[in-house]
Amino acid sequence: MPEGEGEFRSATRLRAVPNEVAEATPLRFGDDPYVWVSWLYYQEGMTQNDIAQIMGISRATVIAYLTEARERGIVNISIEPARLASLTLAQSMKSHFSLRDCFVIPNGADGRALGEGLGAAGALALRKFLKSGDTLAVTGGRTVMAVGSKLKIAALQDVTVVQAVGGAMARNPFSPELCASSIASAVGAACVSLSAPAVASTAAARAIMFAEPLVAEQFAILSRANKALFGIASLRPNASLYSDGVFGGADLQRYIDGDAVGVLAARFIGAWGQLVEGVLDDRVIGLSLADLLRIDLRICVAGGFDKVPAILGALRGGYANVLVTDAATARGILRADGVAELGRRPSDKQAVKHHGREPRQHVKKFINEPDAVVDEMLDGAIRAHRTFLRPLAGSRRALVSLDGPRAGKVGLVIGGGSGHEPCFLGYVGKGLADAVAVGNIFSTPPPDPIFQCAKAASGGAGVLFVYGNYVGDVMNFDMAAEIARDHGIETRSIMTTDDVASSPRENRDSRRGVAGNVFVFKVAGAACDKGWTLDACEAVTRKANARTFTVGVALEPCSLPQTRRYNFEIGPDEIEIGMGIHGEPGVLRGALATADETVDMILDQIFAEMRPASGDRVAALVNSLGGTPLMELYILYRRVEQRLAAKGIEIDTSFVGHYCTSIDMVGASISLLHLDRELQELLHHPCRAAFLQVG
Amino acid sequence: MVELLSHCLGRMFHNISDAIEETKDHLSALDGAIGDADHGVTMSIGFQAVKIELSKRNVDAMAPADLMNIAAAAFLNSVGASTGPLYATGFRSAAQALAGATRATSEAQAALIKGIAAGVRERGKGQRGDKTMLDAWIPAAEAAANANRRSAGSEEMWRLILTAAEAGAASTCSMVAARGRAARLGERAIGHVDPGAASAVVILKAMALAFCEDGTEQKKSLR
Repeated sequence: MPEGEGEFRSATRLRAVPNEVAEATPLRFGDDPYVWVSWLYYQEGMTQNDIAQIMGISRATVIAYLTEARERGIVNISIEPARLASLTLAQSMKSHFSLRDCFVIPNGADGRALGEGLGAAGALALRKFLKSGDTLAVTGGRTVMAVGSKLKIAALQDVTVVQAVGGAMARNPFSPELCASSIASAVGAACVSLSAPAVASTAAARAIMFAEPLVAEQFAILSRANKALFGIASLRPNASLYSDGVFGGADLQRYIDGDAVGVLAARFIGAWGQLVEGVLDDRVIGLSLADLLRIDLRICVAGGFDKVPAILGALRGGYANVLVTDAATARGILRADGVAELGRRPSDKQAVKHHGREPRQHVKKFINEPDAVVDEMLDGAIRAHRTFLRPLAGSRRALVSLDGPRAGKVGLVIGGGSGHEPCFLGYVGKGLADAVAVGNIFSTPPPDPIFQCAKAASGGAGVLFVYGNYVGDVMNFDMAAEIARDHGIETRSIMTTDDVASSPRENRDSRRGVAGNVFVFKVAGAACDKGWTLDACEAVTRKANARTFTVGVALEPCSLPQTRRYNFEIGPDEIEIGMGIHGEPGVLRGALATADETVDMILDQIFAEMRPASGDRVAALVNSLGGTPLMELYILYRRVEQRLAAKGIEIDTSFVGHYCTSIDMVGASISLLHLDRELQELLHHPCRAAFLQVG
Repeated sequence: MVELLSHCLGRMFHNISDAIEETKDHLSALDGAIGDADHGVTMSIGFQAVKIELSKRNVDAMAPADLMNIAAAAFLNSVGASTGPLYATGFRSAAQALAGATRATSEAQAALIKGIAAGVRERGKGQRGDKTMLDAWIPAAEAAANANRRSAGSEEMWRLILTAAEAGAASTCSMVAARGRAARLGERAIGHVDPGAASAVVILKAMALAFCEDGTEQKKSLR
C-alpha cells in the first residue's frame, strides 16, 4: 500500500485537530491505520463515509484498509458454528443419522467454490471440537487440505496431529502427509507422520514396514487418536481418486465390481457401509475401519452430488458422527435414504419443548457430552486404575482384574449400573472381584458384557455372580448365566438384599441390595481367593448377605447428567428414609433431625433385625450417597460407635467414605455386617483393589 | 398390493425412535416421580441403537423375522436394565410370530403386537394390574386380536389398539406397583402413571403411523 503512508499521516494530523467524532474515539491506535479503520467500522459501527471523513482519506481507501485488515488477521470474521448446525437440513441429518453434530453450508452459484466452503465449515467444526490434549488423526484429500488452509486456532496446548494413512506420491498436493502437516501447523500441534506409503507394493513389503520400530511407534500414536478428520472419495469415473496417486495405478475395478461406492481412509466401503474386500487390502497401511470406529469423535468433511452414495454409506456404517457437507448433498442423502417431508420435525420438537413445565433449573456438572458421560468416565477410570484392571477386548463395559482370575479358582463377577462409583469397578482386584460388568447410568448391563466377564473370570472351578436384587439385574444376569452354561461355565447367582427399609422382614428375599454390597463382595472375594469350592464360596457369600443390614437416608435428591434436573422434590425440613441407590424416592418421608437422632432412627431399625448380643462383633460402613462430605460421615460414625458400645458390641472393622453412591445425592447409609469367626477371618483376608485394600 | 412388511417395520422403528426422542424428557419426568428418572433416556438409547443398526442394512431385502431379531439384539446390547430384556424378548417373540410373513397385512400387524406383548409378559413374569408396561401392551394385543377376528381394516384396528392402550396406561395411575423398582414405594406410587406403560403408548402410536401412512388426516387423529 504505497499511498497509505501519506494518507495515514494526514489521518494523524487530523486526529490532532479537535473534532467531535475523533474525540469520541476513546482509544489510541499508535501508527496503525488498519486497526483504526477496523475499530471505527466494526466496533463503533460507523459508516465507511464517516470514517473517510474523519481520517481524511477516500472511501475507496477505507474499503482497501478493511480488506487488508481481514487479510492480515487484524479482523477475523467467523460465523458461530451453532448457526450452521441449526439449519433445518442440518437438524434433519443429525436426527436421521444420529449424528453428534452436522454443519450444512449453502450452495453457491459457482460449483468450484464448494471445496473452499467445505474447508471453511470444516475449520469451524474443528474450532468447536478440537481441544487441548487431543490427538487428531487426519487423512488426505482435497477437502481435508481445504480445511487446513481455512483453519487457524491459537491457544490450544499439547495437540498432536497424526497422519491416518500412509503417504502418497510426492506430486500429489493433497497427500495425507501434506494434509496432516497443514492441519498441524494451523493449530500449533505436533505432527506425526507415517513413514510408509499408503499402499505398499506387496503384502510382504507391508509386513516388513510394520516391523520397523519407527512405523510401530507412529502406529502406537495413531492408536491413541481420540478425534479424526477425514474426507470421502467417490468411485465415479472422473473421481480425483484415480489421479491422486494414493493407489498408484492399481486396478480398482475389482472393488467396483464388489459394489464399493466410496473410499475413506484408503478403505473401500459399500452402499451400506460394509467393508468391500479387494486386491489392495493386504497392502494398505493406515487406520482400519474398525480402528476408526473406536475413535470418539469422527469428523467427515465431504460434499458434491457425485459423493451422495459414498457419504450415505459412510453414515450408515457409522464411520462419521460429525458431518460437514453442503445443502444439495445433504438433501440428496436424505432423499436417497427415504426421508420425504423435510423440515417438519424440528418444529414439532419445539412444540413439545414448550409443552413442558416452567423454565427448569439445571444442575451444574463437569461433563462434556451428556450422552458420552458413561464412556468418558470409564475411559478415565480405566486409565486411572490401570494397575488394577483392564478392559476386555473392544469394550469398556467389561473390565477384568490384572491379577485376579487364575486356574482352579472360583471366579467372582460383580456388576451393575453406573452412577454408584466407586461401586462396582473400585472393587475389582486381587482378593476381590475378578471382573465387573458396567451398565448405563442406574441401568443393569446387558447379558453380553456380563458373559464376557464370566468367561474372563472363569478358571474352570465355576463363577459366582454377586449383584443387587433388582428386576433388571436378575433378568440380565440370568440371561448371561444361560449363555455361560451353553459355553460350559457353571455359575451361581447371589442377589444382595441388605436394604432393611425396602421390604418387611418376612419378605427378606425381595429386598434390594445397597451399600452393604461392599461387605458381601469382600467376603466372596476372600473365599474365592482362598481357593474354596464353588459350593463353599456360594454358601459363605449367602451367609454374609443374610447378616448384612443397611438403611439409607437422603437430604437432597440426585440429578442425572442427561437431564441435569433433580429427580424428585424434597422440602426444606424433610428427610427421605429408606433410600435406594438409584435416586428414587425413599420408602417414607420424615422430619429432618440431628445427626445423632438420625443415626438412632437407622440403628433402631437395624438392631430390630440383627438382634445382636453383648460381646458380638460387627463391621460398620458409614457411606456417603455422593454429596455428603466426610465431615458429616464422621459425625454419624461417632454416634454409631457410641450406640454399639452401649450395647457391648465391638466394631471389628470400620469403613467411612464414598463406597456406593447415587451420583450427587446428599445423604448417607449405615451398614452393619454381623460377624462370626468365619466372616471375620474372610473380612481380614488381604485384598488389593482401587477402592478397597486390606492387609 | 399390500406393502412389504419389512419395509413397514423399518419405517416403524424409525418412527418409534423419533417419537421416543420427542417424549424422552416427559418420560424421564414421569419416572422421577416413582423411579430413578432415567426411563426416557434408557428408551432413547435403545431405539437409537436399533435405528443405527437397521440403517446399516437394506431392510427391504430382509426377512421380517430377521429384522425383528436384529432389533432385539441391538436394543438389548445397548440398554440392559429391565427394559432391555423385556423389549428384546418381545421383539424375538414377534420375530417368531412373523416367520414366513412378507406383506404388511392386518393379520401380520396383529401378530406383531401380540408377539411383543407375549414376549414382554413371558420375560417379566407379570400381569395386568402390576403397574407396568403390560398394562398397555396386554389390552393393545387383545384389541388387535378382536379387530382381526372381526376383519376390521388396518386403520380401525389401530384406532382400537390405541384406545385400549391409552386406557390401560391411564389405569396405572391408581395402582400400587407389584413389580419393578416402584414396588418398593408401596402406596407412594399411587397417583402416578407408570412410565413403562406411558412409553408403550408412545411406541404404539409410532407403530400406528408406520402402518397407516396414507392419509394425513388419519395421521393427525392418531397423533
